[in-house]
Amino acid sequence: MELKIKKLNVKLGENHIIKNLDLHIKEKEFIGIIGPNGSGKSTVLRTIYRALKPKSGIIKINGKNMKAISLRETAKEMAVVAQHNEQDFNFSVLDMVLIGRSPHKKFLERDTLEDYRIAKESLKKVEMEEFINRNYNTLSGGEKQRIILARALAQDTNCLILDEPTNHLDIKYQIQFMSIAKELDITVISAIHDLNMAALFCDKIYVLNEGEIIKYGSPKHVITEELIEKLYGVNSKIFHDREDDTINIMYRPF
Amino acid sequence: MKKKTDQGIDFFDKTPIYIITSIILLALLILSILIAVGFGSVNISIVEIYEIIIYKVFGIGNAIETSDPSTIDIVWLIRLPRIILAIAVGMGLSTSGMVMQAIVKNPLADPYVLGVSSGASLGATLAILLGVGSFFGPNYVGIAAFIGAFGVSISVITMANVKGKSNSTKLLLSGMALSTLCSSFSSFIVYFSDSAEGIRTVTYWMMGSLSGANWDSIKFILPIVLLSTMFFISQYRTLNLMLLGDETSITLGRDLHKYRIIYLIVSSLNIGIIVYASGIIGFVGLIIPHIVRMVFGTDHKKITLIIALVGSIFLIWMDVLSRILIEGSELPIGIIISMIGAPIFIYLMINKSYGFGGGE
Repeated sequence: MELKIKKLNVKLGENHIIKNLDLHIKEKEFIGIIGPNGSGKSTVLRTIYRALKPKSGIIKINGKNMKAISLRETAKEMAVVAQHNEQDFNFSVLDMVLIGRSPHKKFLERDTLEDYRIAKESLKKVEMEEFINRNYNTLSGGEKQRIILARALAQDTNCLILDEPTNHLDIKYQIQFMSIAKELDITVISAIHDLNMAALFCDKIYVLNEGEIIKYGSPKHVITEELIEKLYGVNSKIFHDREDDTINIMYRPF
Repeated sequence: MKKKTDQGIDFFDKTPIYIITSIILLALLILSILIAVGFGSVNISIVEIYEIIIYKVFGIGNAIETSDPSTIDIVWLIRLPRIILAIAVGMGLSTSGMVMQAIVKNPLADPYVLGVSSGASLGATLAILLGVGSFFGPNYVGIAAFIGAFGVSISVITMANVKGKSNSTKLLLSGMALSTLCSSFSSFIVYFSDSAEGIRTVTYWMMGSLSGANWDSIKFILPIVLLSTMFFISQYRTLNLMLLGDETSITLGRDLHKYRIIYLIVSSLNIGIIVYASGIIGFVGLIIPHIVRMVFGTDHKKITLIIALVGSIFLIWMDVLSRILIEGSELPIGIIISMIGAPIFIYLMINKSYGFGGGE
């Protein structure tokens, strides 16, 4: 999926959160959005997946203005894994994943064998297939997050939007989660807190500060000791691993 | 063609338990009607009852000659309408309860949560104590209650939509606020009323009763309830999404706002006509959906029809109990339901360790 954003402004109440933001995400790019708390990462993502209405600006999906596309069409283009996944009712894990098939269903159309197959396959991808008959509410935070990823996979889209998705996960599943997203070979737009994780997986990183993009480019180019100092007020040292051509950030205590 | 075979396999592979349960419940419902019609203060032989029903429904047999006219009236004009009304009320209250819980995304909601019952009470109080709306004819209390119930739920929807789209919290709060307002006005009227008889009527009316059943009201109540139930069965995907919340639902391609208003209007209409016919019967809309959820989970595809059927059967038997428990007198059905329903509910809740949110 290709995404173009021009002069986007978003307000929450009286607060001007996103200011004149431009963004151009090409097909199959893995994009990381980094920035301190309150910089507007989630707001950008929520505007892209249409939970928020922009005050002004144009968002184009595959060249089409988003305003002209139905919610169902956007749901077939992009799936979302965000953090708000607690709820008061008991769903089975299978039901939860099957819900991901909703945008593909017409009025009164039943779930077919194909839908069940896709749901089971998605569970397998996140290594949760033996949880299929469990109750969603009895799972741990990390397990829930992987089920939500399975639901997004079942949605079968060309784009995945991740809003700090690895928050509840241990290191193995953090890496597994991001690897699954990477291997899908589709457009991924992710807000990430962990800069090492961002450097490891992203093709391109956008740095957001106070609602504006202050820098973008490849991880090596963007993530520098000066930037970390400027954004977070934290001293750090960046090591460059020549063997893998990756960077590694080491933070220093205050 | 391929799709058809897929669904055929799917039917046996994935769905048997809840479909079989639905069929069994449907059979139980029919059985309940046939048995319940035999209970009453006048002793009529079961054979005679069926002869009368078969004669009235299909025009077969000679019950009109062999039976006493008053016996025919008891069966056809008193017992049967009452059972049919019980079915409609049970079905309407249970499915509306289920839908309300989804709309406000709160397992504690019941059909009356959005101020509907207080609106109905205010309407009825105005009618009984002050004679408001007496020009509506003999059933003016019911009509006033219907207007109160429907009026309040429409106001709640409108209030929650002022300044931006409604969400479940805004709906719940507007409902509670309007509910309190209506109750205080009802209390105000009762406080200044000097009609002891009127106050007794108001109290009795608020406990609910099916004794007012007649074919004329059933003719429009039953179709409305049945159609609404079928409508809600068809809406299972959206109802499931409602439980996941507005934001998740948008990412899955549905804006709940529009659906919430449609469902609210349909269920308010249901509750309004139920209140019109039977007063306020509480608790059914809360416990029946939860009892079914304890067994079948939350997927609305599976539970909607089951909730409707269980609600109907439950109400038939509660009404039978209300008639036979004390000989020669009739208890308000609302009291029976709470006295029997609450312990059942508590027992199931403890036994199944049913956490609305957690527990397995």
